[in-house]
Amino acid sequence: MTMLPKVPPGAKKLGLVIDLDTCVGCHACAVSCKEWNSGGEAGLLPDYDKQGPEPDGVWYNRVHSYEAPEQGCSRTINLPRSCLHCEDALCVTVCPTGASYKRAEDGIVLIDPEICIGCKLCSWACPYGAREFDEEAGVMRKCTLCVDRIYDPNLPEAEREPACVAACPTRARHFGDLADPESGVSKLVAARGGKTLLEELGYRPTNKYLPARTATIKAEPREAAAEARDGVGAALLKLLDRALSR
Amino acid sequence: MRPSASILLLTTVTGFAFGLLAWVGAYTALGLLPAEPHFALTGIAVGLFLASVGLAASLLHLGRMDRAWRAFSQWRSSWLSREGVGAVLIYPVAILLAAALRLDHGGIVTRLLGAALMVTSLATVLCTAMIYASLKPIRQWHNSHTAPDYLIYAAFSGALLFAVLDTVLLGTTGSADLIAAAAAAAALIAKRAYWHHVDAQTPLASLAAAIGLPKDREVRPLDAPHFTENYVLREMGFVVARRHGARLRRIALGLGFGAPLGLCLLASLSVLPRAATAVALACAVMGLLTERWLFFAEATHVSALYYGRRV
Repeated sequence: MTMLPKVPPGAKKLGLVIDLDTCVGCHACAVSCKEWNSGGEAGLLPDYDKQGPEPDGVWYNRVHSYEAPEQGCSRTINLPRSCLHCEDALCVTVCPTGASYKRAEDGIVLIDPEICIGCKLCSWACPYGAREFDEEAGVMRKCTLCVDRIYDPNLPEAEREPACVAACPTRARHFGDLADPESGVSKLVAARGGKTLLEELGYRPTNKYLPARTATIKAEPREAAAEARDGVGAALLKLLDRALSR
Repeated sequence: MRPSASILLLTTVTGFAFGLLAWVGAYTALGLLPAEPHFALTGIAVGLFLASVGLAASLLHLGRMDRAWRAFSQWRSSWLSREGVGAVLIYPVAILLAAALRLDHGGIVTRLLGAALMVTSLATVLCTAMIYASLKPIRQWHNSHTAPDYLIYAAFSGALLFAVLDTVLLGTTGSADLIAAAAAAAALIAKRAYWHHVDAQTPLASLAAAIGLPKDREVRPLDAPHFTENYVLREMGFVVARRHGARLRRIALGLGFGAPLGLCLLASLSVLPRAATAVALACAVMGLLTERWLFFAEATHVSALYYGRRV
């Protein structure tokens, strides 16, 4: 059913919190996601023209890098982009078949590939570009929050987290219940001022991004700093400077 | 947005089909149908045939055509599902009307069925429009113009087809041609108002807001995730149109609405009515296909922001 579910009291809101301060843009999360979701029962994530000039394929997670000019020098911001498991998920309500749905118990947005007719409307409804069409199976695909890992009783408990989180070498990705204010992810969001992407569009995404810190080193000329100082040391430096400048 | 041939055909051809059926229904409901019984029956047959062509084209858009029947299930939330339900409801209503026209010519049952056909036809066009109007990431669609515009274009294309049938089958000129001309004028005004509106819009969001920075912060793309185009860029980042946009807009206005307006006025004055309405129809088909192509090609999607494209 593609109506958004009535959320039962105490339901979990599983999602990711991604730290843009520590993300180095290594793409390990994207590659690990591709690997996990290409194997096993979840099926193959297709690649097209693999060895050709225009390689392409379906990815649930793509890592962009941006440049934000700051005083003195620019700052690189790496942004891993995947499904944000929105609370007001338009991709769910536009679906004509019921293939696209949001789970009441944990808020994960999924696609049933056995029902999807491949009309692509859900991908048009997503402002984050999180859904990609599988040309081989003729159905839409998206991040599952590794629903086949996080509940798998055969995995050691420490490994019951999404593949992207497990792969991150800088621990920039955190997984947990954002409905519980006492969870690790909720505390991180509160402490670091976690941001909602495109908040003004009103999709209420579950995933949050921790902002990159702004640089504290002011790039001032060293000469000016020396001139401004007082004392014997500074006077000696001034003499030395004058001698060397001759 | 990428203009896909199947969707252009679907929306344009069903616009003609449902527009024609709506006019046949309206004329029946008001008791204004021409006396010749074969006229309305031909109108219904042409309408249902074109509707079938349009719906068949829409199937080509699906990745899994074999599962198309599943699209009727989610009418409670999905405008696409509602469009499907509306489109298949039109068939029994139209067939019942055809039967009533033979058995109960001009009676109350016929009139009620005529009204029902008009309502289901227009409601289905409205559902089509709402598919686009409800998509928040696309500012050129998510506005107050889209829904009324689709109704106006369907009313125009249906009125034109009605006038062609009226002229070709019965040799009549006059009111139907004038209605088509008036609808062409309304469509022309609506399209100009739409372009005026979308040209004045500001972007829905900035790249900075898309990556969680304060929205006025300067930021530019450094590295894209991949070296080649992907689904999101092909489908949502379509940009080819804008180079030819202005010229195509003139073609859409001239062929789609201007030429039919003039030709229908000529036909209403009995100047070569058969040729005039037929040429008007040919112009309208080409013009509306161009208009619909632009509706997609000029539409921008917020997700393209992540790739540094202007939205």
